[in-house]
Amino acid sequence: MVVADAQHHDVHQAPQHQGPSGLGWLMAPGYLRVLWTVPMMFGVGVGIMALIRWLEGWGPIWQGSIVTTLSLITIPLGFLGGIGAFDFWLRYAIGRPTEVDDHRSHGAKDWRGYFKVNTDHKVIGVQYVGTTVVFFLIGGLMAMIFRAELAQPGTQLVDTQTFNGLISVHAALMIFLFIVPVFAGLGNYVIPLMIGAPDMAFPKLNALSFWLLPMGGIMMTASFLVPGGAFATGWTSYPPLADHQPLGQVFFNMGVQWAGASSIMTALNFLVTIITMRAPGMTFWRMPLLVWANFTTSLLVVFATPFIAGAQFFVAFDRVMHTHFFDPAHGGYPIGYQHIFWFYSHPAVYIMILPGFGIISEILSVMSRKPIFGYRLMAMSLMGILVLGFSVWAHHMFVAGMAGWLRVPIMISTMLIAVPTGIKVFSWLATIWEGKIHFTTPMLFALGFLSMFLIGGLSGIYLGSVALDIHASDTYFIVAHIHYVLFGGSVFTIFAGIYYWFPKMTGRMYNERLGKLHFWLTFLAFNATFFPMHWIGLHGMPRRVADYAPEYGTWNLLISIASFALGASTLVFLYNMINSWIRGPKAGANPWNALTLEWLVSSPPPLFNFDEIPTVVGHPYEYGVKGARHAVLNGGAVHAPDEVAVH
Amino acid sequence: MSAHAEAHSNDHHGGEHPPAIYLSSRVPQTILGMLLFIGSEMMLFGAFFAALFFVRVVNEAPHWPPAGSHLPIFVAGMNTIVLVTSSFTMHWSLSSIKKNDRVGMQAGLVLTLLMGITFVVTQAREYSRIGFAPGDSAFATTFFGLTGLHGLHVIIGLLLLAAATARAFRGHFSPEHHHGLEIPGIYWHFVDVMWIIVFITVYII
Repeated sequence: MVVADAQHHDVHQAPQHQGPSGLGWLMAPGYLRVLWTVPMMFGVGVGIMALIRWLEGWGPIWQGSIVTTLSLITIPLGFLGGIGAFDFWLRYAIGRPTEVDDHRSHGAKDWRGYFKVNTDHKVIGVQYVGTTVVFFLIGGLMAMIFRAELAQPGTQLVDTQTFNGLISVHAALMIFLFIVPVFAGLGNYVIPLMIGAPDMAFPKLNALSFWLLPMGGIMMTASFLVPGGAFATGWTSYPPLADHQPLGQVFFNMGVQWAGASSIMTALNFLVTIITMRAPGMTFWRMPLLVWANFTTSLLVVFATPFIAGAQFFVAFDRVMHTHFFDPAHGGYPIGYQHIFWFYSHPAVYIMILPGFGIISEILSVMSRKPIFGYRLMAMSLMGILVLGFSVWAHHMFVAGMAGWLRVPIMISTMLIAVPTGIKVFSWLATIWEGKIHFTTPMLFALGFLSMFLIGGLSGIYLGSVALDIHASDTYFIVAHIHYVLFGGSVFTIFAGIYYWFPKMTGRMYNERLGKLHFWLTFLAFNATFFPMHWIGLHGMPRRVADYAPEYGTWNLLISIASFALGASTLVFLYNMINSWIRGPKAGANPWNALTLEWLVSSPPPLFNFDEIPTVVGHPYEYGVKGARHAVLNGGAVHAPDEVAVH
Repeated sequence: MSAHAEAHSNDHHGGEHPPAIYLSSRVPQTILGMLLFIGSEMMLFGAFFAALFFVRVVNEAPHWPPAGSHLPIFVAGMNTIVLVTSSFTMHWSLSSIKKNDRVGMQAGLVLTLLMGITFVVTQAREYSRIGFAPGDSAFATTFFGLTGLHGLHVIIGLLLLAAATARAFRGHFSPEHHHGLEIPGIYWHFVDVMWIIVFITVYII
């Protein structure tokens, strides 16, 4: 037993923490250490390449494209090591004492805390949302540039390769650096609070998952700087085209790996947290639907994301090692890429919408002051979407030359997935039916989502049928559909969620008038931008082209003008968020009179969320039910908001 | 991270600390996390198996392996036996510490490490003498793709085991606390089982 105790003694004999001095600053985790870890890891990458090429007798030893590809792995590792994302595990691996009860990196005392490796899920949530909004703006600015180019037929502002680069980076950033991770951010902030846990199951892994994300984003954005320009194959990056593109292509292949690893780790963390850290009484059938939605999404992420990792590795191998996964001349199968890619990327559209479904369920119920309609069916339809979501990938490939017999089964499964989605839409409508609706900003965005997502969902059913898809493939009808589901759908839920939890995250209230202005500007400009695309798409305007036939000129000019208005509407949002965070009026613990656990604690919540473990005694959505309680605190403080108007 | 829940039994050294965690599942968090991670890893292998399926089955490759390419089934079979045996030594190591037999734990770990290293070295020598390179044909591409992905996982498993070994010799682990040994062990068993699937798919069928 002496030996067994050693581990615990180590903990107490850990070195005391004094500020580093002199050269110690270069060794302590932080941006100073990054200054030497990054060059060191760059050197490691160069060394590995030189060693292999020298041993194999390949010349020349120095190959710029291979160095770049390797650096996209080693430099981020150097950066992450420098800021201290790996310190704990490295100490653990060599058997040094590890301080399991070390909470120095937990919580942010001031703004600097948000730029460090931080293990507090609330800080990480804000880091996620802040980072992803930055990439949302970058991706949006790219859209402004190519909409300016598309305002007239002919090429005026950018050449065709740059245009293709702009649309590709726009899509890649919006998908991998905004929609997917912003939900991880909101979930990070809210899920532990909602289930009554002090933090996520693996706080250090959580910090690492966040820091992997900007690596991918910076990589994709920086691809404009390399010779030949950014990757220009669309966000789908199909070979053989992707095999023969300039160097910028590997910035996509590798950037996706970093963002993908980030989302797998976060999803894993969510799953373990939700399974093992629910407060007493919080059974699966008492969990808020946001938790259900993230549970489902996380299962999708964990089991689907490795497929895009594989697909991008294959393309990178084909480029760097001259393998033949997709080269028919040497026995490869080009359409294989599309199957593997879409086996992730179709489930990915559910990864990009299911957490939004969860947000909407919370907001509609709270703002209508009514229990959610069909709670169990809402949860089960999420699971239905999860299962069916893996069986519809090939509807992206009806015109790709895949096996003909696959078309009809995939069409049927695609139509079937409208059933669980339809259940959700009707349940939401039944939830607000005869409710006492409060038209706050989150509610406006939730209702905007409900109507816009319906349009996107309906055009999705059109596109699910083989005959219509063959007609509409690669036209602006597809662009309209994808933006109705991802902007009118996902982005509206993101705005709804940010406004809804803004008082919880910051402790202050946003400006309601500006919020409503933001909603109406976004809603109108969004429809003016994307609705005409259905029309010109069905008339044959192809997507992903810089130049087009003159008869589409008028519509495109109108679309471009509307898109600038849509871009400008984001400024209202930014001003409102920043200004309200600094000098907004103080928000109470529960400004919406909501029942779920996150509103039980102060705004912003204490460092470890709950001073005492809450006990869950009822369902989370019993609004308007006399005497209904979701949770009580052990101290006897009863949480039962009166039915009072929000404003 | 494994000791997150255990941490609260210790005395605190000042500062704010979380309240005790209520665990709603009897499954240890770290083991659940590792199992989910292995599920994710299986899907990554699935992507590589899918690539093999497309090249060989969907593309209707006439000869597999193509004329002139031969796979050293005997050597790989011997290597398979080595790797499968190492799973048993790993299991021995874990059951030893559960009985508080530290020597058994250390010996089991060292044997496992040695056999894992033997596997990697044998595979490297197999690569250098196999007579084709990854860029020669789609057959060679999928061969190196699957065995290479697996080899990388063996190396990751070895790094995890090396960390567990370092801690085992530094006096860590006890009959009550041995997640740091159990979790690399689970990963190692996964790597072994996955090798059997890779071996059958790539060499035998």
